[in-house]
Amino acid sequence: MKILLVGEGAREHAIADALSRSTYSPRIFAVMKLRNPGISRICEETRGEVKLGDSTDPSFVASIAEQFSVDFVFIGPEEPQFHGVADEVENRGIPCVGAKRGPSEIEMSKAFMRRLMWKYKIPGRLRFMAFKNIEDAVAYIEEYAESIALKPARQAGGKGVKVIADLQAYLKKEKEEVKKKHVRNIVEEHMRPYTDIEERILIEQKVEGPEYTLQCFTDGRVVKPLPLVQDNKNAYEMDIGPETGGMGSISGPGKTLPFISEEEYEESVEIVFQTVRAIEKEVGEAYKGIIAGQMMLTALWGPTIIEFYSRFGDPEAVNVLPLLETDLVEISEAIISQSLNKVKLEFRDSATVVKCVAPRGYPNRRDLAKGHPIYVDESKIKEAGGRVFYGSIDIVNGEMITGGSRAVEIFAEADTIPAASEIAEKCVQYVTLGDGWKLFHRSDIGTEELLNERIELAKLIREIYRYRREKNLIGRQIDWIPKRGRIEYEF
Amino acid sequence: MNSERCGVFGIYAFDECWNVSRFIYYGLVALQNRGQETCGMAVFGEKGLKVVKGKGLAEDFFTEKSLEEVKGWAGIGHVSPLEPHCNENIQPVYVGDGVRVALCYNGKILNYKELCEGEIKPEEDAVAVANLLAKELKHSDPLEAMESVMEKIRGAYSLIAFTDKGEMIVARDPKGIKPLVIGSYGFDHGAVASESAAIDVIGADLKADVKPGEIYVFNSYSIDRKRALKDRERHCAFEYVYFCRPDSIINGKSVYEVRMKIGEYLAEEFPVDADVVIGVPETAIPFAMAYSNATGIPIHMGFVRSGRSMRTAIRPTQFERLVGVQLKLNPIKSAIRGKRVVLIDDSVVRGTTTRNIVNIMRNKIGAKEVHVRVGSSRLIAPCPFGVEVPGKDELIAAHLTEEEISKVVGADTFAWLSLEGMVKAIGLPKDKLCMGCFTEEYPYLEEET
Repeated sequence: MKILLVGEGAREHAIADALSRSTYSPRIFAVMKLRNPGISRICEETRGEVKLGDSTDPSFVASIAEQFSVDFVFIGPEEPQFHGVADEVENRGIPCVGAKRGPSEIEMSKAFMRRLMWKYKIPGRLRFMAFKNIEDAVAYIEEYAESIALKPARQAGGKGVKVIADLQAYLKKEKEEVKKKHVRNIVEEHMRPYTDIEERILIEQKVEGPEYTLQCFTDGRVVKPLPLVQDNKNAYEMDIGPETGGMGSISGPGKTLPFISEEEYEESVEIVFQTVRAIEKEVGEAYKGIIAGQMMLTALWGPTIIEFYSRFGDPEAVNVLPLLETDLVEISEAIISQSLNKVKLEFRDSATVVKCVAPRGYPNRRDLAKGHPIYVDESKIKEAGGRVFYGSIDIVNGEMITGGSRAVEIFAEADTIPAASEIAEKCVQYVTLGDGWKLFHRSDIGTEELLNERIELAKLIREIYRYRREKNLIGRQIDWIPKRGRIEYEF
Repeated sequence: MNSERCGVFGIYAFDECWNVSRFIYYGLVALQNRGQETCGMAVFGEKGLKVVKGKGLAEDFFTEKSLEEVKGWAGIGHVSPLEPHCNENIQPVYVGDGVRVALCYNGKILNYKELCEGEIKPEEDAVAVANLLAKELKHSDPLEAMESVMEKIRGAYSLIAFTDKGEMIVARDPKGIKPLVIGSYGFDHGAVASESAAIDVIGADLKADVKPGEIYVFNSYSIDRKRALKDRERHCAFEYVYFCRPDSIINGKSVYEVRMKIGEYLAEEFPVDADVVIGVPETAIPFAMAYSNATGIPIHMGFVRSGRSMRTAIRPTQFERLVGVQLKLNPIKSAIRGKRVVLIDDSVVRGTTTRNIVNIMRNKIGAKEVHVRVGSSRLIAPCPFGVEVPGKDELIAAHLTEEEISKVVGADTFAWLSLEGMVKAIGLPKDKLCMGCFTEEYPYLEEET
């Protein structure tokens, strides 16, 4: 059996690893923009091959799939999906795991996602406004002082989101300035490369609560959830610092997290399931691949959707794929043949912690983070009980060089999250740079202290949303704006 | 200037589109309880590091115009209860050649005279530390430079410095005598302040205490953190009893909770048959509420304050102290007349304020009895770390018994909370507290003898 994997990050490394464990002993081929050392090694070990090139170019990827006459293609990242790689591959008669252009709209267009949730009355939706130009967005901001999230209307590599809590009237002017500057920034910087979507800016109501990611396999008919994972987005310890793609994540033991109840987990799965069904109705195509809800427990709803991913999260994939005991090739084939209902997903019952190691400069000064020789002492890491998944690293002239983002993700597994965190922490020291530049990671991820903070926050939010449910207030919000009067939002 | 019981504040925006001068301003307004004589800020922006500072309350001194002149995405600020002779010594001080450093701190460096050559006046301690840091920064990175400064200075300090290269350096002395906390506003700012209330006021979330001996260095693309020196913690007990705002959480303990416990223990230790409990605004109000809850004696509002909050024990001159009392406390006659009153105060330093209040209650309004209960233990010694407790010869508790004091202030009975009660209320182990002003035993100093 032969499989072509598309993508070059730690997430794809984890996918390649899971595929290579299959009893079918597949040969793994990869299309990558740069030479990820982990994926390259798996390709080599399974007698596959690596092709470097534009992994978002449909005809390029499809021609490689044809060249190696693979049994199916597995798409890791979102951009190849947005560009229609799955569509082109299927057009040439090769099956594919990974959303086609149509269904991937759920991640690509944040306005599409919100409209869909409202149209099909899916629980966990937020109020939003989408704008096509700076002027309209600025006019809205000038009129309403609110706590909001400002986002590029299209998925832009996870960048460009700004969340502004606007509760102190005496600091309103400063915040309004920043909101307006950021709207300009979204349009002129983050959205500039993208011409495939008309809307430019999304403004959403800001909500608060503990976040978690629910990743699911889907064949369009059923969704099969993976254990919940929580990612940590702030760059620095104690949840301080700029937003990153994620500095590390925790999961388990079991399918839920210590701060999410079984009931909340089930409700979250239901939200994702309803969304998958709604997508098919809307775009006329089945969703075959992976869908992930980046969720938050909010006072407004309980489980609430912040964003959807049309793929695994990164680093979230690295938490759970190593625990997957069901054969990923079988899962893939069931997705392709729409018989996922027959597959029983099984995971090793462990707690996991993933810690990302990035060169200093990430995320705001990637120019500084890029181009450093990096060494990973895998045998020492193995000795300490951890595993390495390679991220933003290229091999240039036989040497590993940092690519400016999270270079390495360390995976550790134990009975409890804090125990796994300690293992990961011991491993981090075996990742080093060769030129004196510094690396950083978050030592607090998975610690008892941070975990307790999440548990406390969840308790508070749970009390409020349960109260609101009891009083039949869910799905309703009443506002009063001076000179405009009463506004009732029906959810 | 001695950086006695001052307030420090620092903020760093990770996105340069922010202007933080008004955040610093409100941070300082929130810390005004810690000093009302001078204020200042240093802000880093496109035009480099700009300093604006002067005399008076933050609300009076800073103007739209002066805040506009110090625009930027990061900066530090300071309020102080002391008035220096020379404006340049108002903090943040700004010194250095080659590398320029703005610096402010709360506490007192005991060996400031040894830090530089030549004569240094007591009010130039911050200048001396800033010069030392600037010198170290010439050949070391900010973390190493601060570490090396910490090896040379001795005393209590919660310190924030800002370099002209855009780095914010935060340090707390190895015993953590003065409070210092760190907070965060979403993905946009990190902030540091003497008290968590200042973090709340700018809309950020409290994250943790800066640990004793810990250094943080913020720059535009990283935060470095290191526990540079380790020592036994000795947190100032008087912060809980008197200095901090009740809405602050310092060293992991809610000040309000501590003060409610103090009132409870006062009731336990010194109950009295009375008609009404009255607290002296503002610090003693939680003591009085808890005393009332514990005894069942109703609490009443006994005084109304005119004008701004002024903390009588820390005004610089005797004259202002007297003016402060009159302005601060106008009694509500109907709450007091003909009643047996338990009067709860936060601390008694010289006895002047208490005597005035008891005199007004008894002789002008006609309270039947006045029983004074004090929410702190006996203040018997000065503070070498700058908490502005006067010399021993000015401290009534160092010279008179409770019975004698009750006669001096004109009360029926008079009692201080026991030392054990105070420690229990704070809820930290006794050996982790600095209680020098109650016991005359001081960290740093006792180790030398």
